[in-house]
Amino acid sequence: MEWTNLIKLLNLLCSGALTSIQLFCYTLLFSLPLGLAVALGRMSKRPYIRGPIKFYILIMRGTPLLLQIIFVYFAPSFMMPEGFRINLDRFVAAVIAFSLNYAAYFAEIYRGGIESIPQGQYEAAAVLGFTKSQTFFRIILPQVIKRILPPISNEVITLVKDTALIQVLGISELFRVAKNESSRLFSTLPLFVAGLFYLAMNWVVTRVFHLAEKKLSYYK
Amino acid sequence: MQILHVENLRKSFDGQTILSNVSLEISKGEVIAVIGPSGSGKSTLLRCLTLLERIDQGKITVEGDVMVDSPNGHPRYAPEETLRKIRLKLGMVFQNFNLFPHFSVLQNITEAPVHVAGVPYEVAKANALELLEKIGLSDKADAYPYQLSGGQSQRVAIARALAMKPDVLFFDEPTSALDPELTGEVLKVIRALAAEHMTMMVVTHEMAFARDVADRVIFMDNGQIIETGTPDQIFLNPTNERTKTFLQRFSENG
Repeated sequence: MEWTNLIKLLNLLCSGALTSIQLFCYTLLFSLPLGLAVALGRMSKRPYIRGPIKFYILIMRGTPLLLQIIFVYFAPSFMMPEGFRINLDRFVAAVIAFSLNYAAYFAEIYRGGIESIPQGQYEAAAVLGFTKSQTFFRIILPQVIKRILPPISNEVITLVKDTALIQVLGISELFRVAKNESSRLFSTLPLFVAGLFYLAMNWVVTRVFHLAEKKLSYYK
Repeated sequence: MQILHVENLRKSFDGQTILSNVSLEISKGEVIAVIGPSGSGKSTLLRCLTLLERIDQGKITVEGDVMVDSPNGHPRYAPEETLRKIRLKLGMVFQNFNLFPHFSVLQNITEAPVHVAGVPYEVAKANALELLEKIGLSDKADAYPYQLSGGQSQRVAIARALAMKPDVLFFDEPTSALDPELTGEVLKVIRALAAEHMTMMVVTHEMAFARDVADRVIFMDNGQIIETGTPDQIFLNPTNERTKTFLQRFSENG
Protein backbone atom coordinates (compact mmCIF):
# COMPACT_ATOMS: atom_id res chain seq x y z
CA MET A 1 0.00 0.00 0.00
CA GLU A 2 1.25 3.42 -0.83
CA TRP A 3 1.89 6.05 1.77
CA THR A 4 -0.85 8.35 0.55
CA ASN A 5 -3.37 5.52 0.75
CA LEU A 6 -2.25 4.64 4.24
CA ILE A 7 -2.63 8.22 5.38
CA LYS A 8 -6.07 8.34 3.80
CA LEU A 9 -7.01 5.17 5.64
CA LEU A 10 -5.77 6.53 8.95
CA ASN A 11 -7.73 9.69 8.33
CA LEU A 12 -10.92 7.75 7.76
CA LEU A 13 -10.34 5.56 10.78
CA CYS A 14 -9.70 8.65 12.90
CA SER A 15 -12.99 10.21 11.94
CA GLY A 16 -14.70 6.88 12.71
CA ALA A 17 -12.91 6.72 16.04
CA LEU A 18 -14.08 10.25 16.79
CA THR A 19 -17.70 9.10 16.50
CA SER A 20 -16.93 6.12 18.74
CA ILE A 21 -15.27 8.40 21.28
CA GLN A 22 -18.25 10.75 21.23
CA LEU A 23 -20.61 7.89 21.96
CA PHE A 24 -18.24 6.72 24.69
CA CYS A 25 -18.16 10.14 26.37
CA TYR A 26 -21.91 10.77 26.18
CA THR A 27 -22.62 7.31 27.53
CA LEU A 28 -20.39 7.85 30.55
CA LEU A 29 -21.75 11.35 31.07
CA PHE A 30 -25.32 10.06 31.37
CA SER A 31 -24.93 6.52 32.69
CA LEU A 32 -22.60 7.21 35.61
CA PRO A 33 -25.04 9.55 37.43
CA LEU A 34 -28.10 7.64 36.21
CA GLY A 35 -26.56 4.43 37.57
CA LEU A 36 -26.30 6.04 41.00
CA ALA A 37 -29.99 6.94 40.93
CA VAL A 38 -30.85 3.42 39.80
CA ALA A 39 -28.70 1.94 42.57
CA LEU A 40 -30.48 4.06 45.20
CA GLY A 41 -33.82 2.98 43.76
CA ARG A 42 -32.72 -0.64 43.80
CA MET A 43 -31.89 -0.30 47.51
CA SER A 44 -35.10 1.54 48.36
CA LYS A 45 -37.19 0.14 51.21
CA ARG A 46 -40.32 0.82 49.18
CA PRO A 47 -41.27 -2.18 47.07
CA TYR A 48 -43.07 -0.07 44.43
CA ILE A 49 -39.76 1.65 43.70
CA ARG A 50 -37.46 -1.34 44.16
CA GLY A 51 -39.63 -3.71 42.11
CA PRO A 52 -39.70 -1.79 38.81
CA ILE A 53 -35.99 -0.98 39.17
CA LYS A 54 -35.16 -4.65 39.59
CA PHE A 55 -37.18 -5.39 36.46
CA TYR A 56 -35.38 -2.63 34.57
CA ILE A 57 -31.97 -4.04 35.56
CA LEU A 58 -33.09 -7.53 34.59
CA ILE A 59 -34.12 -6.37 31.10
CA MET A 60 -31.00 -4.27 30.54
CA ARG A 61 -28.59 -6.97 31.63
CA GLY A 62 -30.66 -9.84 30.34
CA THR A 63 -31.07 -8.88 26.69
CA PRO A 64 -28.42 -8.09 24.06
CA LEU A 65 -27.31 -4.48 23.88
CA LEU A 66 -27.51 -4.83 20.12
CA LEU A 67 -31.22 -5.56 20.40
CA GLN A 68 -31.70 -2.62 22.77
CA ILE A 69 -30.06 -0.27 20.29
CA ILE A 70 -32.39 -1.44 17.53
CA PHE A 71 -35.38 -1.20 19.83
CA VAL A 72 -34.65 2.36 21.00
CA TYR A 73 -34.15 3.51 17.42
CA PHE A 74 -37.15 1.85 15.84
CA ALA A 75 -39.71 1.68 18.63
CA PRO A 76 -40.60 5.41 18.73
CA SER A 77 -41.44 5.44 15.03
CA PHE A 78 -42.87 1.96 14.55
CA MET A 79 -44.66 1.13 17.75
CA MET A 80 -46.31 4.48 18.40
CA PRO A 81 -49.77 5.27 17.02
CA GLU A 82 -50.11 7.60 14.02
CA GLY A 83 -49.41 11.20 15.02
CA PHE A 84 -47.13 10.25 17.90
CA ARG A 85 -44.35 8.82 15.80
CA ILE A 86 -40.96 10.24 16.50
CA ASN A 87 -37.98 9.82 14.28
CA LEU A 88 -35.02 9.70 16.58
CA ASP A 89 -31.64 10.74 15.30
CA ARG A 90 -29.54 7.56 14.98
CA PHE A 91 -26.76 8.84 17.19
CA VAL A 92 -29.20 10.10 19.82
CA ALA A 93 -30.89 6.70 19.84
CA ALA A 94 -27.50 5.06 20.29
CA VAL A 95 -26.62 7.34 23.22
CA ILE A 96 -29.98 6.62 24.89
CA ALA A 97 -29.66 2.85 24.47
CA PHE A 98 -26.07 2.81 25.71
CA SER A 99 -26.81 5.08 28.68
CA LEU A 100 -29.79 2.99 29.80
CA ASN A 101 -27.82 -0.21 29.41
CA TYR A 102 -24.65 0.89 31.14
CA ALA A 103 -26.60 2.60 33.95
CA ALA A 104 -27.95 -0.83 34.88
CA TYR A 105 -24.47 -2.32 35.12
CA PHE A 106 -23.06 0.68 36.98
CA ALA A 107 -26.03 0.57 39.35
CA GLU A 108 -25.18 -2.94 40.47
CA ILE A 109 -21.54 -1.96 40.95
CA TYR A 110 -22.57 1.08 43.01
CA ARG A 111 -24.92 -1.06 45.06
CA GLY A 112 -22.17 -3.56 45.81
CA GLY A 113 -19.91 -0.69 46.86
CA ILE A 114 -22.49 1.05 49.00
CA GLU A 115 -23.50 -2.16 50.76
CA SER A 116 -19.87 -2.94 51.54
CA ILE A 117 -19.49 0.16 53.73
CA PRO A 118 -19.77 -0.86 57.39
CA GLN A 119 -22.91 0.17 59.26
CA GLY A 120 -20.67 1.87 61.82
CA GLN A 121 -19.88 4.64 59.34
CA TYR A 122 -23.57 5.55 59.12
CA GLU A 123 -23.92 5.37 62.89
CA ALA A 124 -20.89 7.54 63.56
CA ALA A 125 -22.22 10.11 61.08
CA ALA A 126 -25.71 9.96 62.62
CA VAL A 127 -24.56 10.63 66.18
CA LEU A 128 -22.40 13.52 64.96
CA GLY A 129 -25.54 15.06 63.50
CA PHE A 130 -24.88 14.69 59.78
CA THR A 131 -28.04 14.69 57.66
CA LYS A 132 -28.77 11.70 55.46
CA SER A 133 -27.55 13.43 52.32
CA GLN A 134 -24.42 14.78 54.02
CA THR A 135 -23.69 11.28 55.28
CA PHE A 136 -24.06 9.85 51.81
CA PHE A 137 -22.12 12.45 49.88
CA ARG A 138 -19.39 13.28 52.42
CA ILE A 139 -18.85 10.00 54.22
CA ILE A 140 -20.18 7.07 52.21
CA LEU A 141 -19.76 7.95 48.53
CA PRO A 142 -16.05 8.88 48.67
CA GLN A 143 -15.31 5.49 50.21
CA VAL A 144 -17.55 3.75 47.70
CA ILE A 145 -15.72 5.34 44.77
CA LYS A 146 -12.40 3.98 45.97
CA ARG A 147 -13.82 0.48 46.30
CA ILE A 148 -15.63 0.38 42.96
CA LEU A 149 -12.88 1.77 40.72
CA PRO A 150 -11.66 -1.69 39.59
CA PRO A 151 -15.09 -3.04 38.54
CA ILE A 152 -16.00 0.32 36.98
CA SER A 153 -12.81 0.26 34.90
CA ASN A 154 -13.87 -3.18 33.63
CA GLU A 155 -17.16 -1.78 32.38
CA VAL A 156 -15.56 1.30 30.85
CA ILE A 157 -13.10 -0.85 28.92
CA THR A 158 -15.99 -2.96 27.68
CA LEU A 159 -17.80 0.22 26.67
CA VAL A 160 -14.93 1.25 24.39
CA LYS A 161 -15.35 -2.00 22.47
CA ASP A 162 -19.16 -2.03 22.64
CA THR A 163 -19.32 1.24 20.69
CA ALA A 164 -18.77 -0.93 17.60
CA LEU A 165 -22.37 -2.16 18.01
CA ILE A 166 -23.93 1.06 16.71
CA GLN A 167 -22.92 0.14 13.18
CA VAL A 168 -26.22 -1.75 13.21
CA LEU A 169 -27.86 1.68 12.82
CA GLY A 170 -25.56 2.52 9.93
CA ILE A 171 -23.47 4.97 11.94
CA SER A 172 -19.91 5.27 10.66
CA GLU A 173 -18.05 4.47 13.81
CA LEU A 174 -14.55 3.04 13.87
CA PHE A 175 -15.37 -0.58 13.19
CA ARG A 176 -17.83 0.07 10.37
CA VAL A 177 -15.34 2.36 8.65
CA ALA A 178 -12.64 -0.29 8.95
CA LYS A 179 -14.96 -2.97 7.58
CA ASN A 180 -15.92 -0.82 4.59
CA GLU A 181 -12.30 0.00 3.84
CA SER A 182 -11.39 -3.63 4.23
CA SER A 183 -13.88 -4.72 1.55
CA ARG A 184 -13.04 -1.79 -0.70
CA LEU A 185 -9.28 -2.41 -0.54
CA PHE A 186 -9.69 -6.16 -0.38
CA SER A 187 -7.31 -6.21 2.61
CA THR A 188 -7.54 -7.07 6.30
CA LEU A 189 -5.14 -4.27 7.17
CA PRO A 190 -7.87 -1.70 8.00
CA LEU A 191 -9.46 -4.13 10.49
CA PHE A 192 -6.11 -4.78 12.06
CA VAL A 193 -5.38 -1.05 12.37
CA ALA A 194 -8.85 -0.52 13.87
CA GLY A 195 -7.92 -3.13 16.46
CA LEU A 196 -4.85 -1.06 17.33
CA PHE A 197 -7.10 1.99 17.69
CA TYR A 198 -9.30 0.19 20.23
CA LEU A 199 -6.20 -0.99 22.04
CA ALA A 200 -4.80 2.53 22.18
CA MET A 201 -8.07 3.92 23.51
CA ASN A 202 -8.22 1.28 26.20
CA TRP A 203 -4.62 1.90 27.10
CA VAL A 204 -5.64 5.50 27.86
CA VAL A 205 -8.65 4.28 29.89
CA THR A 206 -6.42 1.90 31.83
CA ARG A 207 -3.92 4.68 32.56
CA VAL A 208 -6.66 7.01 33.77
CA PHE A 209 -8.05 4.40 36.15
CA HIS A 210 -4.60 3.51 37.33
CA LEU A 211 -3.94 7.16 38.17
CA ALA A 212 -7.31 7.49 39.89
CA GLU A 213 -6.60 4.43 42.03
CA LYS A 214 -3.20 5.80 42.90
CA LYS A 215 -4.70 9.14 43.86
CA LEU A 216 -7.12 7.40 46.22
CA SER A 217 -4.49 5.14 47.73
CA TYR A 218 -3.70 7.67 50.44
CA TYR A 219 -6.04 5.81 52.78
CA LYS A 220 -7.10 2.24 53.39
CA MET B 1 -29.28 19.73 86.92
CA GLN B 2 -30.79 16.78 85.17
CA ILE B 3 -29.49 16.18 81.66
CA LEU B 4 -31.22 12.99 80.73
CA HIS B 5 -34.31 11.31 82.03
CA VAL B 6 -35.54 7.88 81.02
CA GLU B 7 -38.85 6.37 82.11
CA ASN B 8 -40.00 2.80 81.65
CA LEU B 9 -38.10 2.21 78.45
CA ARG B 10 -38.96 -0.96 76.58
CA LYS B 11 -37.30 -2.27 73.45
CA SER B 12 -37.61 -5.56 71.64
CA PHE B 13 -36.21 -7.02 68.45
CA ASP B 14 -38.39 -9.45 66.52
CA GLY B 15 -40.63 -10.04 69.50
CA GLN B 16 -37.70 -10.70 71.82
CA THR B 17 -37.56 -8.25 74.69
CA ILE B 18 -34.12 -6.65 75.00
CA LEU B 19 -34.94 -3.90 77.46
CA SER B 20 -37.85 -3.59 79.82
CA ASN B 21 -38.78 -1.18 82.54
CA VAL B 22 -35.55 0.76 82.29
CA SER B 23 -35.68 4.05 84.14
CA LEU B 24 -32.74 6.24 84.97
CA GLU B 25 -31.56 9.80 85.04
CA ILE B 26 -28.22 11.43 84.47
CA SER B 27 -27.28 14.63 86.25
CA LYS B 28 -24.83 17.17 84.99
CA GLY B 29 -21.21 16.24 85.68
CA GLU B 30 -22.07 12.70 86.66
CA VAL B 31 -20.08 9.69 85.48
CA ILE B 32 -22.16 6.54 85.25
CA ALA B 33 -20.73 3.12 84.57
CA VAL B 34 -23.05 0.48 83.19
CA ILE B 35 -21.93 -3.07 83.88
CA GLY B 36 -23.47 -6.46 83.36
CA PRO B 37 -23.08 -9.69 81.43
CA SER B 38 -23.01 -9.77 77.63
CA GLY B 39 -26.44 -9.61 76.10
CA SER B 40 -27.91 -7.82 79.10
CA GLY B 41 -29.00 -4.87 76.95
CA LYS B 42 -26.32 -2.34 77.96
CA SER B 43 -25.34 -1.45 74.42
CA THR B 44 -28.94 -1.41 73.23
CA LEU B 45 -29.77 1.03 76.01
CA LEU B 46 -27.00 3.36 74.84
CA ARG B 47 -28.14 3.03 71.24
CA CYS B 48 -31.70 3.93 72.23
CA LEU B 49 -30.52 6.98 74.13
CA THR B 50 -28.45 8.18 71.16
CA LEU B 51 -31.29 7.65 68.67
CA LEU B 52 -29.51 4.83 66.85
CA GLU B 53 -32.40 2.56 67.77
CA ARG B 54 -36.05 3.45 68.21
CA ILE B 55 -37.72 2.34 71.40
CA ASP B 56 -41.04 0.48 71.65
CA GLN B 57 -42.32 2.23 74.72
CA GLY B 58 -41.26 4.73 77.34
CA LYS B 59 -40.21 8.31 77.67
CA ILE B 60 -36.84 9.94 77.13
CA THR B 61 -36.20 13.58 77.96
CA VAL B 62 -32.97 15.44 77.21
CA GLU B 63 -32.53 18.72 79.05
CA GLY B 64 -36.26 19.31 79.15
CA ASP B 65 -36.84 18.44 75.49
CA VAL B 66 -38.94 15.34 75.05
CA MET B 67 -37.21 13.03 72.59
CA VAL B 68 -39.90 10.38 72.73
CA ASP B 69 -43.00 9.70 74.75
CA SER B 70 -45.61 6.96 74.67
CA PRO B 71 -48.86 8.48 75.88
CA ASN B 72 -50.99 5.49 74.82
CA GLY B 73 -48.44 2.73 74.80
CA HIS B 74 -46.94 3.57 71.42
CA PRO B 75 -43.79 5.58 71.00
CA ARG B 76 -44.17 9.04 69.53
CA TYR B 77 -40.89 10.70 68.62
CA ALA B 78 -40.42 14.45 68.50
CA PRO B 79 -40.27 16.10 65.07
CA GLU B 80 -36.95 15.74 63.22
CA GLU B 81 -36.11 19.36 64.02
CA THR B 82 -36.20 18.69 67.76
CA LEU B 83 -34.36 15.40 67.34
CA ARG B 84 -31.58 17.23 65.49
CA LYS B 85 -31.27 19.66 68.35
CA ILE B 86 -31.20 16.78 70.84
CA ARG B 87 -28.64 14.82 68.82
CA LEU B 88 -26.19 17.72 69.05
CA LYS B 89 -26.24 17.41 72.82
CA LEU B 90 -25.34 13.73 72.75
CA GLY B 91 -21.94 12.32 71.86
CA MET B 92 -21.07 8.69 71.29
CA VAL B 93 -17.86 6.69 71.26
CA PHE B 94 -18.13 3.24 69.70
CA GLN B 95 -16.43 -0.01 70.47
CA ASN B 96 -14.95 -0.13 66.97
CA PHE B 97 -14.07 3.59 66.80
CA ASN B 98 -15.84 4.07 63.43
CA LEU B 99 -13.43 6.78 62.34
CA PHE B 100 -13.88 8.00 58.77
CA PRO B 101 -11.01 6.29 56.90
CA HIS B 102 -10.89 8.77 54.02
CA PHE B 103 -10.36 11.75 56.33
CA SER B 104 -7.17 12.67 58.13
CA VAL B 105 -7.29 12.73 61.91
CA LEU B 106 -7.74 16.49 61.83
CA GLN B 107 -10.59 16.29 59.33
CA ASN B 108 -12.25 13.52 61.31
CA ILE B 109 -12.45 15.98 64.18
CA THR B 110 -13.35 19.15 62.25
CA GLU B 111 -15.85 17.69 59.77
CA ALA B 112 -18.91 17.70 62.03
CA PRO B 113 -18.27 21.07 63.72
CA VAL B 114 -17.85 22.70 60.30
CA HIS B 115 -20.60 20.97 58.36
CA VAL B 116 -23.13 20.22 61.09
CA ALA B 117 -22.64 22.96 63.67
CA GLY B 118 -21.52 25.61 61.18
CA VAL B 119 -18.35 26.56 63.04
CA PRO B 120 -15.84 28.46 60.85
CA TYR B 121 -13.07 26.13 59.71
CA GLU B 122 -10.26 28.06 61.41
CA VAL B 123 -12.07 27.93 64.75
CA ALA B 124 -12.85 24.23 64.35
CA LYS B 125 -9.24 23.54 63.43
CA ALA B 126 -7.86 25.41 66.44
CA ASN B 127 -10.26 23.54 68.68
CA ALA B 128 -9.33 20.20 67.08
CA LEU B 129 -5.61 20.84 67.60
CA GLU B 130 -6.31 21.68 71.22
CA LEU B 131 -8.20 18.41 71.64
CA LEU B 132 -5.39 16.48 69.97
CA GLU B 133 -2.94 17.95 72.40
CA LYS B 134 -5.19 16.95 75.27
CA ILE B 135 -5.29 13.32 74.13
CA GLY B 136 -1.57 13.35 73.39
CA LEU B 137 -1.77 12.97 69.63
CA SER B 138 -0.68 16.38 68.34
CA ASP B 139 1.77 14.70 65.99
CA LYS B 140 -0.99 12.66 64.35
CA ALA B 141 -3.12 15.52 63.01
CA ASP B 142 -2.25 14.70 59.40
CA ALA B 143 -2.22 10.92 59.80
CA TYR B 144 -4.99 8.72 58.42
CA PRO B 145 -6.93 6.29 60.60
CA TYR B 146 -5.22 3.22 59.08
CA GLN B 147 -1.91 4.55 60.40
CA LEU B 148 -3.14 4.62 64.01
CA SER B 149 -3.08 1.92 66.66
CA GLY B 150 -6.37 0.88 68.23
CA GLY B 151 -5.74 3.01 71.30
CA GLN B 152 -4.87 6.04 69.20
CA SER B 153 -7.95 5.50 67.06
CA GLN B 154 -10.18 5.41 70.07
CA ARG B 155 -8.62 8.57 71.47
CA VAL B 156 -9.25 10.32 68.15
CA ALA B 157 -12.83 9.05 68.23
CA ILE B 158 -13.21 10.61 71.68
CA ALA B 159 -11.78 13.89 70.39
CA ARG B 160 -14.15 13.76 67.42
CA ALA B 161 -17.12 13.39 69.77
CA LEU B 162 -15.83 16.14 72.10
CA ALA B 163 -15.39 18.55 69.19
CA MET B 164 -19.18 18.82 68.99
CA LYS B 165 -19.19 19.92 72.65
CA PRO B 166 -21.87 17.43 73.72
CA ASP B 167 -23.59 17.79 77.08
CA VAL B 168 -23.33 14.09 77.69
CA LEU B 169 -20.94 11.59 76.19
CA PHE B 170 -21.82 7.90 75.84
CA PHE B 171 -19.17 5.19 75.57
CA ASP B 172 -20.11 1.78 74.22
CA GLU B 173 -17.44 -0.58 75.53
CA PRO B 174 -14.68 1.80 74.46
CA THR B 175 -11.84 -0.59 75.30
CA SER B 176 -13.34 -3.94 74.33
CA ALA B 177 -11.65 -3.97 70.91
CA LEU B 178 -8.26 -3.09 72.38
CA ASP B 179 -5.27 -5.07 73.62
CA PRO B 180 -4.86 -4.80 77.39
CA GLU B 181 -1.79 -2.62 76.93
CA LEU B 182 -3.73 -0.13 74.79
CA THR B 183 -6.70 -0.06 77.13
CA GLY B 184 -4.85 2.07 79.64
CA GLU B 185 -4.25 5.02 77.33
CA VAL B 186 -7.94 5.24 76.48
CA LEU B 187 -9.06 4.92 80.08
CA LYS B 188 -6.61 7.65 81.00
CA VAL B 189 -8.36 10.03 78.60
CA ILE B 190 -11.76 9.13 80.04
CA ARG B 191 -10.42 9.62 83.56
CA ALA B 192 -9.16 13.06 82.59
CA LEU B 193 -12.61 13.93 81.26
CA ALA B 194 -14.19 12.71 84.48
CA ALA B 195 -11.86 15.00 86.41
CA GLU B 196 -13.21 17.88 84.34
CA HIS B 197 -16.75 16.82 85.26
CA MET B 198 -17.75 15.86 81.77
CA THR B 199 -21.11 14.08 81.98
CA MET B 200 -20.55 10.53 80.82
CA MET B 201 -22.22 7.16 80.66
CA VAL B 202 -19.81 4.32 80.05
CA VAL B 203 -20.76 0.77 79.22
CA THR B 204 -17.73 -1.21 80.29
CA HIS B 205 -16.29 -4.53 81.34
CA GLU B 206 -13.41 -2.78 83.11
CA MET B 207 -14.52 -3.25 86.70
CA ALA B 208 -11.54 -1.50 88.23
CA PHE B 209 -12.17 1.49 86.02
CA ALA B 210 -15.87 1.54 86.90
CA ARG B 211 -15.01 1.42 90.57
CA ASP B 212 -12.44 4.22 90.40
CA VAL B 213 -14.05 6.66 88.03
CA ALA B 214 -17.83 6.29 88.23
CA ASP B 215 -20.00 8.30 90.58
CA ARG B 216 -22.72 5.76 90.10
CA VAL B 217 -22.75 2.18 88.83
CA ILE B 218 -25.70 0.57 87.12
CA PHE B 219 -25.81 -3.21 86.99
CA MET B 220 -27.95 -4.65 84.21
CA ASP B 221 -29.05 -8.17 83.51
CA ASN B 222 -31.67 -9.58 81.15
CA GLY B 223 -32.67 -6.18 79.85
CA GLN B 224 -33.37 -4.71 83.25
CA ILE B 225 -31.58 -2.50 85.70
CA ILE B 226 -31.02 -4.80 88.64
CA GLU B 227 -29.15 -2.52 90.95
CA THR B 228 -27.92 1.06 91.04
CA GLY B 229 -25.59 2.64 93.54
CA THR B 230 -22.26 4.18 94.30
CA PRO B 231 -19.27 2.05 93.34
CA ASP B 232 -18.78 1.13 96.97
CA GLN B 233 -22.35 -0.03 97.33
CA ILE B 234 -22.27 -2.11 94.16
CA PHE B 235 -18.80 -3.57 94.47
CA LEU B 236 -18.52 -3.98 98.23
CA ASN B 237 -22.11 -4.51 99.36
CA PRO B 238 -24.24 -5.65 96.45
CA THR B 239 -27.73 -6.45 97.69
CA ASN B 240 -29.04 -8.38 94.72
CA GLU B 241 -28.10 -12.03 94.25
CA ARG B 242 -27.46 -11.60 90.54
CA THR B 243 -25.13 -8.68 91.09
CA LYS B 244 -23.20 -10.74 93.60
CA THR B 245 -22.89 -13.70 91.24
CA PHE B 246 -21.78 -11.50 88.38
CA LEU B 247 -19.12 -9.68 90.42
CA GLN B 248 -17.92 -12.91 91.94
CA ARG B 249 -17.37 -14.41 88.53
CA PHE B 250 -15.46 -11.31 87.58
CA SER B 251 -13.13 -11.37 90.53
CA GLU B 252 -12.50 -15.08 89.99
CA ASN B 253 -11.53 -14.44 86.40
CA GLY B 254 -9.19 -11.70 87.47
